[in-house]
Amino acid sequence: MLLFGISIALSVIGAAASILLKRAESASRLVGSLFGVAAAACALAAGCLGMFTPIEPISVATPFFFATFTLLINPLSGLLLVVINLLGVVAWIYGIEYLKEYTGKGIGSLGMFMHIFMAAMCLVLVSDNVFWFLVFFEIMAISSYFLVIVQQDEKSVKAGFLYLVMAHVGYIMIMIAFFVMSSQTGSFDFSSFRVAEFSPAIASVVFVLCFLGFGCKAGMVPFHSWLPLAHPAAPSHISALMSGGMIKIGIFGIVKVTFDLLAASGVELWWGLLVVVIGAVSCVLGIAYAIAERDIKRLLAYCSVENIGIILLGVGTALIGVALEIPAIAGLGLLAALFHLLNHALYKGMLFFGAGSVIYRTHTRDMSKLGGLVRAMPVTALCFFLGALAISAIPPLNGFVSEWFTYQSMLSAALAGGPLVRIVFAFAVVSLALTGALTVVCFVKAFGISFLGAARSEKAHKATEVPFVMKLCVILLTACCICLGIGAPWVVGFFVTISSSVLLLPGPEVAAGITLVNPDLGSAISTPLVAVLLIALITLPLIIRAVFKSSQRQKPDASKEPWQCGYQPTDDMAMRAASFGAPVQVFLKPLYTIRAALAAQAATVSQLFQKTVSGADKAQGLGDRYLVDTVAQGVTWLSKKMQGIEGGNFRIYVLYIVVALVALLCIAIIAGGGAL
Amino acid sequence: MILIILACLQAILLVAAAPLVSGSARWMRAKFQTRKGPPILQDYYDISKLFKRQDLHTKDSSFVHRLMPPLFIGVMMLIFMGIPVVTRFSPIPLLGDVILIIYLMVLPRLFFALSAIDTGSSYAGVGGIRELLIGVLVEPAMLLALFVTILATGTTNVGEMGMMVGSFAAVNPVAVALAGVAFACACYMELGKLPYDLAEAEQELQEGPLSEYSGPSLAYCKIALYMKQIVVVSLLVAIFIPFGSATELTVPAMALGLVLYLAKVVVIFFICTIFENVVARVRFKLFGHQTWTVVGIAALALVFFVLGI
Repeated sequence: MLLFGISIALSVIGAAASILLKRAESASRLVGSLFGVAAAACALAAGCLGMFTPIEPISVATPFFFATFTLLINPLSGLLLVVINLLGVVAWIYGIEYLKEYTGKGIGSLGMFMHIFMAAMCLVLVSDNVFWFLVFFEIMAISSYFLVIVQQDEKSVKAGFLYLVMAHVGYIMIMIAFFVMSSQTGSFDFSSFRVAEFSPAIASVVFVLCFLGFGCKAGMVPFHSWLPLAHPAAPSHISALMSGGMIKIGIFGIVKVTFDLLAASGVELWWGLLVVVIGAVSCVLGIAYAIAERDIKRLLAYCSVENIGIILLGVGTALIGVALEIPAIAGLGLLAALFHLLNHALYKGMLFFGAGSVIYRTHTRDMSKLGGLVRAMPVTALCFFLGALAISAIPPLNGFVSEWFTYQSMLSAALAGGPLVRIVFAFAVVSLALTGALTVVCFVKAFGISFLGAARSEKAHKATEVPFVMKLCVILLTACCICLGIGAPWVVGFFVTISSSVLLLPGPEVAAGITLVNPDLGSAISTPLVAVLLIALITLPLIIRAVFKSSQRQKPDASKEPWQCGYQPTDDMAMRAASFGAPVQVFLKPLYTIRAALAAQAATVSQLFQKTVSGADKAQGLGDRYLVDTVAQGVTWLSKKMQGIEGGNFRIYVLYIVVALVALLCIAIIAGGGAL
Repeated sequence: MILIILACLQAILLVAAAPLVSGSARWMRAKFQTRKGPPILQDYYDISKLFKRQDLHTKDSSFVHRLMPPLFIGVMMLIFMGIPVVTRFSPIPLLGDVILIIYLMVLPRLFFALSAIDTGSSYAGVGGIRELLIGVLVEPAMLLALFVTILATGTTNVGEMGMMVGSFAAVNPVAVALAGVAFACACYMELGKLPYDLAEAEQELQEGPLSEYSGPSLAYCKIALYMKQIVVVSLLVAIFIPFGSATELTVPAMALGLVLYLAKVVVIFFICTIFENVVARVRFKLFGHQTWTVVGIAALALVFFVLGI
């Protein structure tokens, strides 16, 4: 806890130093980054400690008598601290070089907001009080908004506004959910929610609001529209932090509310089914839209929607496991979700850093203008390639391990469940398989078009390898991906510990020696074995070919022009980003029609709301009808208000924020009065 | 120990026999068309000739283009080590997980498409993308069929699935049989045969991306593509038609298993050849419609399973 305090203090000093030195930009950049690295390293250490030895909560008296400032690092928040700050350390180091691009664009304030952003994310994770949680959540949203609009052009300001609006739509839902809980318990402390037994109706209301609210932050479908606009607008190392770190706070929120805060109230089966369905839809739509992109950072951002979907599949399976009272399935599902959360942070961070390196040298995000970078930037290219393999879930890398556990947990749950559960999981398994195949297309495109073939523009021709510091960052994260994949049998144990401490259930035995097992089905794989055999079996033919080649009179020749049906190759014959999109769009037309429909009329969003609510309504018992109907009306009202997003009436949203703040203040005063 | 030797033997046999299987398929095809056709061993001659030729690469190609042929062969050998062939159980059970096998199949496909782009030839690149799209369309159907089978047998290990299906111990045999049909259709699409592909023509999906390969690398690619056909067929045999394979490690049982396995493979390739000779090639864009049919069959299997028929 002391380490955590030091980290926050360093962030504050760093923020102050960055802004004070804003006239001397390179000094500001260096000092800010140094404080950033130190702060993130301290928080990382605090997270590691918290993951293994839960630290007693610390309460600090504050001027607000109704809101004691309680800090709690439990294994779950410890894991999130590790994920975010690991990425944070790397991002700060990367920024030392990368921010040179932004000289003259306000490096001082950029540094300050990044410090505030990091500190706010850490504080959200450990706050154990509604008031402070919401305050830090808001600071996180606002500071990241300033990071999104750092380019100050029309595009990024628009993206920033949409981001701000969506962040607050989610914020209001979370706030209402928390106030519902605190009105029941009469306290603002999370510790009081943990022991309170809410009625099933109240618990369901809280769950749906929190799921949608935190889902907004996580960027799940149908609340994903802001993510592919906002993340690419920020500088690349901050995009990495947002895509790898910040959206995970949405997942953290969902897990914390459902398993931790509602622990005493029990879990309903339909919650899990809802999460699984939304997760399945998110992963397919996210990756399908990613393929259609030609902007490399937008492609990566859409891909985050996909990975959030996969994580939600794990979370949903865990919920179903709890509802069916089968600890092994719950443990497996949450293990898959948390492991994928870490894995996604690592490879998505790495891919964003790699994309940043490309932009640093070529100054373009359009993949059609890249090409041939594998010769100019070999280290970056190789790391990007390994990252692409990891995100495509190729064994034995880390993405495969977490997706394998996701599959296994879903299969176990489908075996244990009734007909409805089975059909939902059939849908989820097919979605995950389709996602896997589409991810391969997406990353063959991202890597192939950007790094392979001939250079397609002058800038790509002139590109050179990036400075050592930036190379170091991508190498570091790539090494993590490889180690977590091959070393999975030794690592998953920690995740079982974390998930069983969240679920308060005994964790399943998922690793034995060099094997990963699903004890429920008896399935076993071994990533170290696959890695060793793969290397051996690929080396063997390589050697044989080399022997054959060396005995030949004619040596291998690598100077030929490609065959273009007899024509002289020209630049416009080369493969382009659009060559990929077109055939996929032909085959998966319905998916893109959905997007067109979503963009055309926000009414579709409200319909989705109503469908969700009516589905929830049916699943509920008759006794709960009255309460759920009230919520249904409330949510419908909210969703009708949401139609304004694409209507472009910004003032209404400003009004929302004001109303939210006033409501917060009123409740604070009322609650305070009650305490007096 | 015997099992490890068996696994290695399987992998070596796969490499050695791959050109024989494709050669017989070509021979059979010629007979259907009342041509004399090439000798059965023709593919061995082709490969040994290719090994003597010079290895050429385009000037823009990188490590991906050079690594793809050995990697394709290596991955196919790795997958084959985990598939039950003469035995009912997987020789190396840790490699016999069906999800692992499906995801390992993705690795060569990814390299295949990347190496096509890597050459800088737009012609090869188009083939590469099409190869990827086949994966997109076939994989969900394959996994839905497997999902039903996994639920019916309660395991994801290929050997144990075969064990349950072979002893009729699986719940809902009708659903499993229907899933088997769907899986077989999906496998056929993976084989790269007419009506979806014409591998011999060197201008269609599967070999289009190979247009920039030559010499030993092209020989490797050819062997690897033949190996893939055998691996896919063996996977189908191991899960859905395991009847007769050795359940214990005795010489007579394994000899019987081997004979029956070879017989099954020959029959399947014979059926494939019949298909190949009675259909015309479909347009690439119609491929999607036909995979939806397969998804439909697999979905029907799921319905049967859920209803308990």
